[in-house]
Amino acid sequence: MLRLSTLAVFFAVLGVWHVTSASAWVSPFLLPSPRTVFETLIELAETGALAKHTLVSLRRVASGYLLAIAAAVPVALLFSLSSVLRRAIEPLLEFLRQIPPLAMMPLLILWLGIGEAQKVGIIVLSCFFPIFLGVRGGIAAVDRKLIDVGTVCGFSRAEIMWRIVLPSALPSIVVGLRIGLGYSWRALVGAELIASSAGIGYMIVDAENLARTDIVLAGILVIGVLGLTSDLLLRRLIERKARWLAGELEMARA
Amino acid sequence: MLDARHLGKSYRLGDGDVVALADVSLSFPRGSITTVVGRSGCGKTTLLRLLAGLERPSSGELLRRDGGPLRTGVVFQEARLMPWLDALGNVAFGLRRRVSAAEAEERSRVALETVGLSTFADAMPGQLSGGMAQRVAIARALVTEPDLLLLDEPFAALDAFTRRAMQNELVAIWQKKGATIVFVTHDVEEAVLLGERVLELERGRVVGYEPVDLPFPRDPTDAAVNRHRRRILANLTTPSSAPEPSGAAIPPSIAKETSS
Repeated sequence: MLRLSTLAVFFAVLGVWHVTSASAWVSPFLLPSPRTVFETLIELAETGALAKHTLVSLRRVASGYLLAIAAAVPVALLFSLSSVLRRAIEPLLEFLRQIPPLAMMPLLILWLGIGEAQKVGIIVLSCFFPIFLGVRGGIAAVDRKLIDVGTVCGFSRAEIMWRIVLPSALPSIVVGLRIGLGYSWRALVGAELIASSAGIGYMIVDAENLARTDIVLAGILVIGVLGLTSDLLLRRLIERKARWLAGELEMARA
Repeated sequence: MLDARHLGKSYRLGDGDVVALADVSLSFPRGSITTVVGRSGCGKTTLLRLLAGLERPSSGELLRRDGGPLRTGVVFQEARLMPWLDALGNVAFGLRRRVSAAEAEERSRVALETVGLSTFADAMPGQLSGGMAQRVAIARALVTEPDLLLLDEPFAALDAFTRRAMQNELVAIWQKKGATIVFVTHDVEEAVLLGERVLELERGRVVGYEPVDLPFPRDPTDAAVNRHRRRILANLTTPSSAPEPSGAAIPPSIAKETSS
């Protein structure tokens, strides 16, 4: 799966990083060598700090993401079925959508404190809309011609929804889910950077205060790897469950 | 078996109504194959959608003379396959509800074989050529053993060779299954090759009726086929041949002739 050219690019970046740091072109204090960062990573893993912070972050992402799905999918389905609801509530949602979740942080901190609720809240806020719009868009864009086929076959409304509309909307729903997952990582780390006592974001900002650039970089690497892994797992799941969809996933890189 | 009485359909467009079909009275006897020919916008697709139950008539009615539910199969201009199902799944699409999964698969395989695609049962729609996809669509329509098979320019998007082959296949299927077939096309030659009778439609009205009493399969270069073709073309290209949609009802002679 990992092609030679992909590996080559990775190693080239590592090489440039190493040379920049080793030649003291950039102060090793500001940019520790890859070797130092790697050793720090091992050290963090050995003390258990890495696992602790990662687990905290993962748990937040998981609960926020699942909550957002639980909220966004039913609302989107409801809106697709009822034009009255849609016309009444959608403008308000459109308004809320324009507000970057991080801009809601101060308010969320005041309302929910700096505990788990606030972290999960920010994740829900940031991945609700990609998921919601994915479901809405997918259903709205269903080919009327396919629905005709169902009508001709004598399907009921529920059958048309279940056997034609939802499968047709699946590519768009999956795109929403993937984008939402990416957003939830970003929002989480943002939230942890601002006010937190645990999590990868906290680990980074704590290291910054101690001027430990190696830990900062190690944290950044971990975030990237975790994001890639979760996206990969989601893709694997989709490829296994809906192989015809695999080709459509490429547009979901966000 | 199926009668259309003063069937009309108009759509709202802006402030006015657009008449797509004005007062069409026809009869489709059991086991007949009728082709409907006319230029774009003459109302032929509307007629088919009304027969298929996809639209409600604005006026008039559709009558089933021998009662009982009418199993209807429809083939559209595009194959309209479900991209998430393989060929076999697409054929079985309208069936699974009524029969067991095992029987659905068995019948779908038979239908795929009828259209010569048994080796492509596992192929996804994206992997099929236009002609193959349309064959799957025909198999999907045939799998329910329809009493009435409606086809809306099903071969229009195919190349000439594939089209010829598919026309012959359709005739063979019709001869074997004995379904009542209504076939809509803008191609006069195709209408003559496939129809026991050709209905000429213009501006939402039946303006001509051409019985074609030739054995199947018909040869497009045949002199008799050409005579029918020329006659229909002459009738359809005469600008005054169609009364305005708001005009008088269909001439009784045609209404009488087309019912049996």
